[in-house]
Amino acid sequence: MTDALLQVDDLRVTFPVGGREVRAVDGVSFTVEPGQTLAIIGESGSGKTVCCRAIMGLLPAGTAIRGSARLRGSELLGLSDAELRRHRGSDVAMVFQDPARSLNPTMRAGVQVAEAITTHRKVSKREASTQAVELLRLVRIPAAERRFHEYPHQLSGGMRQRVMIAIALACRPKLLIADEATTALDVTTQAQIMELLLDLQKELDMALIMISHDLGLAASYADEVVVMYAGKIVEQAPATQLFGAGGAVRMRYTRALLDAIPHLDRPAHTQLPIVGGRPPDPTALPPGCSFAPRCQYAEDDCRAKMPTLAEHTPSHRWACWHPCEEGGAA
Amino acid sequence: MAAPLPEVQLATAAPPPLPSLVNARQLRAQRLGRALRLWVPAGIIILILAMCFLLPLVTTLPSSTNGNIIYNNEAPFSPGHWLGTNVQGVDIFSQLVYGGQVAFEVAVSVTAIGIVIGGTLGVVAGYFGGWVDAVLSRVLDVLIAFPALVLALVIAEGLGPSEIHTIWALSVFGIPAVGRITRGATLTIRGLPYMTAARLAGTRSWRMIARHILPNIMPIIVTFSLLGIGVVIILEGALDFLGYGIPAPTASWGNMIANGQQILSAQPEYVLIPSIALLITVASLNMLGDALRERWGTQ
Amino acid sequence: MALVQQIQLQTGGSGARDGARRITGSPALRTIGRRLLAAIPVLIGVTFLTFAVMSTLPNTTAQAILGLNATPSAVRALNQSLGLNQPFLERYWHWLVNVLHGNLGTSIEGASVNHELAIHVPTTLGLLLYALVVSVVLAIIVATLAARRPNGIADRISLAVSMLGLSTAPYAFAFLLIIIFAVKLQWFPVLSGPVNSPASFFRNLTLPAASIGFGLFAIYTRLLRADLVEQMQREDYIVTAKAKGVAPWRVLIRHALRNSMFNLITVIGLNLGGLVGAAAIIETIFQVQGIGNDLLTGISNHDEPLVEGIVLVFALVTVLGNLLADLAYAVLDPRIRYGSSTS
Repeated sequence: MTDALLQVDDLRVTFPVGGREVRAVDGVSFTVEPGQTLAIIGESGSGKTVCCRAIMGLLPAGTAIRGSARLRGSELLGLSDAELRRHRGSDVAMVFQDPARSLNPTMRAGVQVAEAITTHRKVSKREASTQAVELLRLVRIPAAERRFHEYPHQLSGGMRQRVMIAIALACRPKLLIADEATTALDVTTQAQIMELLLDLQKELDMALIMISHDLGLAASYADEVVVMYAGKIVEQAPATQLFGAGGAVRMRYTRALLDAIPHLDRPAHTQLPIVGGRPPDPTALPPGCSFAPRCQYAEDDCRAKMPTLAEHTPSHRWACWHPCEEGGAA
Repeated sequence: MAAPLPEVQLATAAPPPLPSLVNARQLRAQRLGRALRLWVPAGIIILILAMCFLLPLVTTLPSSTNGNIIYNNEAPFSPGHWLGTNVQGVDIFSQLVYGGQVAFEVAVSVTAIGIVIGGTLGVVAGYFGGWVDAVLSRVLDVLIAFPALVLALVIAEGLGPSEIHTIWALSVFGIPAVGRITRGATLTIRGLPYMTAARLAGTRSWRMIARHILPNIMPIIVTFSLLGIGVVIILEGALDFLGYGIPAPTASWGNMIANGQQILSAQPEYVLIPSIALLITVASLNMLGDALRERWGTQ
Repeated sequence: MALVQQIQLQTGGSGARDGARRITGSPALRTIGRRLLAAIPVLIGVTFLTFAVMSTLPNTTAQAILGLNATPSAVRALNQSLGLNQPFLERYWHWLVNVLHGNLGTSIEGASVNHELAIHVPTTLGLLLYALVVSVVLAIIVATLAARRPNGIADRISLAVSMLGLSTAPYAFAFLLIIIFAVKLQWFPVLSGPVNSPASFFRNLTLPAASIGFGLFAIYTRLLRADLVEQMQREDYIVTAKAKGVAPWRVLIRHALRNSMFNLITVIGLNLGGLVGAAAIIETIFQVQGIGNDLLTGISNHDEPLVEGIVLVFALVTVLGNLLADLAYAVLDPRIRYGSSTS
């Protein structure tokens, strides 16, 4: 809690959509320490992306944001766009999901990287270009000088994502948010990019928030894991406490996610225990636990009252009236 | 011609709907705005049509072609002459009404011909592709490159100006314009997966066209036609103005402008009145087309 | 970018020429070549049709020259000497051959068509360029201001003004301009005088250019504004730019506007053909000595060679315009220019 890099307290984000209110993020609090890797896991619509975009100030006008998000002690929410822009890209940076659409198709790759530099630092164009090439090398793009002059469509998916990372790292941010950064890539490239991110993290002493729907990714690469559902955090713990030997997943939703992952040693030809039903409609959330409609173990108190997120065992928080048994291994 | 190709106007899409990040009150305001944008222009057009086509049936208007020179240059609101009379004593309001009739007759005819002939060509070219498309596209290209102005003038010069000749001449321009649009729309729809599925299922061509393509290109054709009618009204006015369209003394808005040209500095109203009529009519058509496009989604 | 595809679909495609030097990739070169070949039948088609139309009308050229009191035999003799009683196909062929040798024939008035065109084409060109440049520049400025805050004040004003521009007839607008600026304010002359200096250029051609330009401005503004707003709202690379910390104006101009230019150039190219026609009427009103004016006098004089020559120019412009629209993609869009390569 001391010297936390990012401290988010009771973040609430509401959209007015078509006359109704959507509570995309409903009271989320977490902390990121310097150099730490935090994974935010959830389905589409869980609020994980909105949460981070709120911190970056990238949500459209008309959105109501309440709560607090402090970066190294200074409050980010409520800043004017001009003030926020000073942090965006320099202290906090973001990498997005689809590199094919996230890069301007008519601008050369290197120029887009250089722009990230010149936006925050007063350097000559030539100096920025040199630095951009250095960045391209940093993200392990071979023949960086040549790639500098190429257009995004001339690069492969993996390389485009590296360019995005280079853009994000341009000003050596202390916090990098990777929003489903590897979802659009094939598995091999995915591993390469994750390795790259982790190495860069160590090299640049950078904290990383990885947003994903992939528990496996979280298990492999994260220090701390936050699981979100319907705009709330439902479980939070260090990765070691959740996964692997001695790990214990308590909240039913997380358990269901884990169970749905196919294992090699599963008996063949048995049906995967998928999580039935559909993600909840954010405009019509049920009273009580949002996961109750889809939970096998739901009881009346689950449907009646919203479970509170509490630290039941040291550094392990969950929000469930009837959690899994202690020792229910992952 | 006087206005660029209508397909270009189509490409200038109506303002895209903003994401509905609005609360309930703003939503109601938005819906009201949308309804107004549709019904106000529609109402104006209906009013104009009523004025031009129904009014003469209900009341007798002073002649639009002959006038008594004694009563020339009457001011607006004089008895018997709502908008006054022109230099020759012809009633201006009558000229507006009958000129409006002519404008709509020509514009609707040209658009109808365009849709029937151009639409057919476009759908056939777009649907069958291959050499059929190549040939038809060339034909459309030639027609579009052909300065319709020249054709209209030459025909008028040789055969004498008349309403029918004007319609023919402007159709040379209207057919390829519609043709291109329908060809493009057909190509788009043809490429959709469900069309491939239908084809694989053995559906016959004419059925595919009738049941799948035509209903889906209807919205485009309708919005395009509204804009097109506006364009043709302006073009027809241009021809009349030059003296190669509707012959004097038959009233037409273009003729009125041409006649008013001489006394422009002294009495600008003779030019201004038909110009305003043109403006209101075409603007209403454009706004209606926009509103319909908004309602039926872009494209 | 959906607008882009829409317009691409509608480009029937024709013509090609300069700009081929800048193209390095061969797919682009082949496209240009194909367009070039496609242009030729179009040009032939257009001129053939014009000839056909002019020939089917009662041929009174000689009559027009000699006047109403000419005797029938004199008319016949003149017809003979002018070669006007030959079969139409033969005449077309002769004309075509001459054109390929650079000779556009002789006008009724006696001057060579080449000469007439050489004098008058630059004037019309000047007028059109004036109208085009000013309307494009203004459109870019206004559209950018409007797109900065969609549905804001600047946006609403721009939409209203462009709706006006879209709906006014250039010839009606011309008279409005004359009333206000030439008669009441006396800033410009009502009729155009000779254009032989920059000062006389602006003095004489401003009102005519404005008459044509208002409609153009309206179209370009609407197009750009729609494209810009769509990009700013729907495209991911805009979010990336914002995430970098780039200021909103820079995002709009450096990222969105740059991509919108393709669309704009395409539309300008497609418009070119219609533009010359519009110019004709405006030239008549202001008595600008350009080819539009010539066309009208030529038609009333039954001056076949002159009309043919001007029609050829019109058709060429249309064809070139379509080519320009295609070229905008082949040359400028890096996706087409460089093709795709993998690492």
